[in-house]
Amino acid sequence: MTELSKIRNFSIVAHIDHGKSTLADRLLEETNTVDKREMEEQILDNMELERERGITIKARAVKLNYRADDGEDYVLNLIDTPGHVDFNYEVSRSLTACEGAVLVVDASQGIEAQTLANTYLAIDAGLEVLPVVNKIDLPAARPEEVKKEIEDIIGLPAMDAPEISAKNGINIHSVLEMIVRDVPAPKGDREAPLQALIFDSQYDSYRGVIVYMRVMNGTVRPGMDVKMMASGAVYKVVECGYLHPKGMVPADALGAGEVGYLTASIKTIADTRVGDTVTGAENPASEPLPGYKSCQPMVYAGVYPADGSKYGDLRDALEKLKLNDASMYYTQENSIALGFGFRCGFLGLLHMEIIMERLEREFNLDLITTAPNVVYEIDKTDGSHIEVYTPLNYPDPMEIAQAYEPYVKASIIAPPDYVGNIMDLCQFRRGEFKDMSYLDQSRVELHYEIPLNEIIYDFFDALKSRTRGYGSLDYELIGYRPSKLVKLDILLNGEMVDALSFILFADEAYARARRICEKLKENIPRQMFEIPVQAAIGGKIIARETIKALRKDVLAKCYGGDITRKKKLLEKQKEGKKRMRTFGTVSVPSEAFMAVLKMDE
Amino acid sequence: MNELKPLGIYIHIPFCRSKCQYCDFYSIGGSRDPRLVDNYIQALMVHFKETGPRAADYLVDTVYFGGGTPSFFGADNLRRIFAELQHRFRVDRDAEITFEANPDSVSSGLLKKLRAEGFNRMSLGVQSDRDEMLKKLGRPHSYEQARTAVQLARACGFENISVDLMYGLPDQTAAQWEETLRHVLHLRPEHMSCYGLKVEEGTPLWTWKDEANLPSDQVQAEMYLRTVDILEAAGYRQYEISNFAKPGFESRHNLKYWMGDEYIGFGPAAASDFAGKRYTYNADIQNYIRGVLKQDLPILSECETIPARERAGEYVMLRLRTTRGISPEEYEKNYLMPFEPLLDAIVPLAQKGLFVQDGDRWVLTPTGFLVSNQIIGRLQEAQEKSEPLAKKR
Repeated sequence: MTELSKIRNFSIVAHIDHGKSTLADRLLEETNTVDKREMEEQILDNMELERERGITIKARAVKLNYRADDGEDYVLNLIDTPGHVDFNYEVSRSLTACEGAVLVVDASQGIEAQTLANTYLAIDAGLEVLPVVNKIDLPAARPEEVKKEIEDIIGLPAMDAPEISAKNGINIHSVLEMIVRDVPAPKGDREAPLQALIFDSQYDSYRGVIVYMRVMNGTVRPGMDVKMMASGAVYKVVECGYLHPKGMVPADALGAGEVGYLTASIKTIADTRVGDTVTGAENPASEPLPGYKSCQPMVYAGVYPADGSKYGDLRDALEKLKLNDASMYYTQENSIALGFGFRCGFLGLLHMEIIMERLEREFNLDLITTAPNVVYEIDKTDGSHIEVYTPLNYPDPMEIAQAYEPYVKASIIAPPDYVGNIMDLCQFRRGEFKDMSYLDQSRVELHYEIPLNEIIYDFFDALKSRTRGYGSLDYELIGYRPSKLVKLDILLNGEMVDALSFILFADEAYARARRICEKLKENIPRQMFEIPVQAAIGGKIIARETIKALRKDVLAKCYGGDITRKKKLLEKQKEGKKRMRTFGTVSVPSEAFMAVLKMDE
Repeated sequence: MNELKPLGIYIHIPFCRSKCQYCDFYSIGGSRDPRLVDNYIQALMVHFKETGPRAADYLVDTVYFGGGTPSFFGADNLRRIFAELQHRFRVDRDAEITFEANPDSVSSGLLKKLRAEGFNRMSLGVQSDRDEMLKKLGRPHSYEQARTAVQLARACGFENISVDLMYGLPDQTAAQWEETLRHVLHLRPEHMSCYGLKVEEGTPLWTWKDEANLPSDQVQAEMYLRTVDILEAAGYRQYEISNFAKPGFESRHNLKYWMGDEYIGFGPAAASDFAGKRYTYNADIQNYIRGVLKQDLPILSECETIPARERAGEYVMLRLRTTRGISPEEYEKNYLMPFEPLLDAIVPLAQKGLFVQDGDRWVLTPTGFLVSNQIIGRLQEAQEKSEPLAKKR
């Protein structure tokens, strides 16, 4: 165990592309944690998907050994954080495990939205935030101005911030020295009852769940019985140790202030929720660490195999993903149009997109996803009360006494210049203004109560575009309120396609219905016949578009040499059709199902 | 002795005066290098000699010299090749012997020689009756030359003349196209092929297609339907998507492609469907010459044995190009697959006027031909899901 005074726990916060992962790589190299030869690009982002999206989806941590200029040996624990509002909770837990954060700002781009949002999260978590100006070797670099921006906008002293180039390894040493000097050493009592914060966990098919944690108080050892305070599950620790980029290094014990992992033959990731506190089963802490939230799916969508016969494959894939992602939820669902599939719950749309992509890539599935919805509640005329997770189960209007939709309290932080734009947006999205306050000269916080349904689709994108990227958003569920809801049905060629139905606020029905018909018209390719696209509420048509018939799709010449070519062409056509579902005589590409929710003009 | 099986022979002549803007066939534009020509003829002859024995129990009833531009290649060269072909294969006395020609390389000398040698059908590339259009397409001749070529061929004893035309050309209107058809009808060809222009990647036209002002799909569809009507009224029966003939003058050679009959192709890029295999040679004349003469290089670019089930798919794909269409009896007998799933797909299409029943055969209507890629796709889908008859029983 390392002496508390020699430990520094920190994370790196930055806007996408400002060089967070590159800096992490350089720190690993500079401390000889990984040598250059072994350096796989951006080791901390080790999911393929993350690398492509340039965002870190799941947190990871790594231990660096560093001999500082003062001649002392230090242990620096770098804890990586995800960077999207869908994962705000995970970010906040990772930050809570640290005492400091290195804020990376691009020397030419300056401060951007995520820089702000994540910096505020770090400040709120009580962290010492240490600015670093990156990419100073670029011709457009303006480090002095950017430092001033940091001081003016965020209010952090920045004049002495290291000027570095993570890409070219310039001044990395000064970052390490700054961490040793300015990040506070952790506090904690190693003799006290165990309190360790879970900031991530991962399922491993050989060892069970691997829990990533920061020990706040007490000490954990192999053989010890531990209890997850929120889930109540008790396990005997099999192994604990430190995290190295190339694997895990077992240790005899992990004490307060340290960051590492434990395994305990834990079979389900649901027992080790992010934010939960690990304590001793025999000598438990009197209370858990603050800040735990049980995270519930916010949006639900139908997920179906494009090829109906792949239902079993989809079920197996979901089972495997669930092992690694406690925040995902699924249950079987049956649509008349699409057959057997699943209703899946997600934290938000990004989470949903990531899960969909993983299903398609890692399990080689072609999927159709229906428009996501929130959970509605309904008082029925027969006195019963139901929760509606899918439009497929939405009751007949005659049976509804009162419908309710979930509301959130949204907190939006942005520079004062954009208040007008934000208010317009929130009002348009049925938001109810609560209050507004200046956090300091450069940022305002607005509180709104908004239907969750208005937030989940493209609100964050709309907010970013209306605040030039500076707006940040956080929200929490505050309960259900009475609402006027209707179910909108879509008919293709006169036949209802249940998988395209969705629930919406009644006053918006006409405008949305028209828009959706237009969207479907754009997304469904012309076919041999004219296809009417209609939107209806309870059997009454309220919008209509027509997809004109395809006039010409013919190969003019087909002689000896053309036959093989023509066959290949037909094969390709067939491949394309695999991503389509046929309803009656109408083929609908899988994208069309999602297109209905893109409202952007 | 067993009865001889019919066989078509195609010989590719990859030489042209110049390359047309839209053309993606394999040919060399420019001068005819005498040594290359000679080597090529040599290679064809060796290839005939090699292949002949494998076709011992076949009777060649169609021969087709395509290109490229066989007329540009010259009568003497064509004669040499044809003479050797007759030496190595059994060629029927009544065989249909076609050569493709362009108006700029047709002379009475050439026509007389070929006619005397036994050539009996000329397929002339006319494409348009407007000189400015011909120029734009990169064709090295005028419409007047095309008219003269037809008259010369008649005078030299050709009684089966086909004219190739194209619609959907740059700046073309439906009215212009109708006028083209009427002008060409005055030439009284026995056969007409009318092709919708397809802009192929890699052709010069591809690079200026966006500025070409090509007629819309809607207009092209109109042009097509008018073609069928006008030619029908003039006594030409449509027998394939793009082909029309006076009764008895359908191209017997080309019908083999759509009827699933056997043919052997010679020359670079030539395709064969022979003895259960479909194969194609590389589109490279040097490769062909060397591969055939020295036998140290493979010349095949593709070769596949077509399983019966796939033949059933080809039957649907190819037969539906023709006005013979598909027949349940023929289908079930030849492929041992149930026709019923196809019928389920056909009936709703027939209700929409895309199919028509002719006796027990199902044939696409002209509107059906226009979207035949879609229809073929749909039928093949139905086919893939069906079980062979034997299994059902």
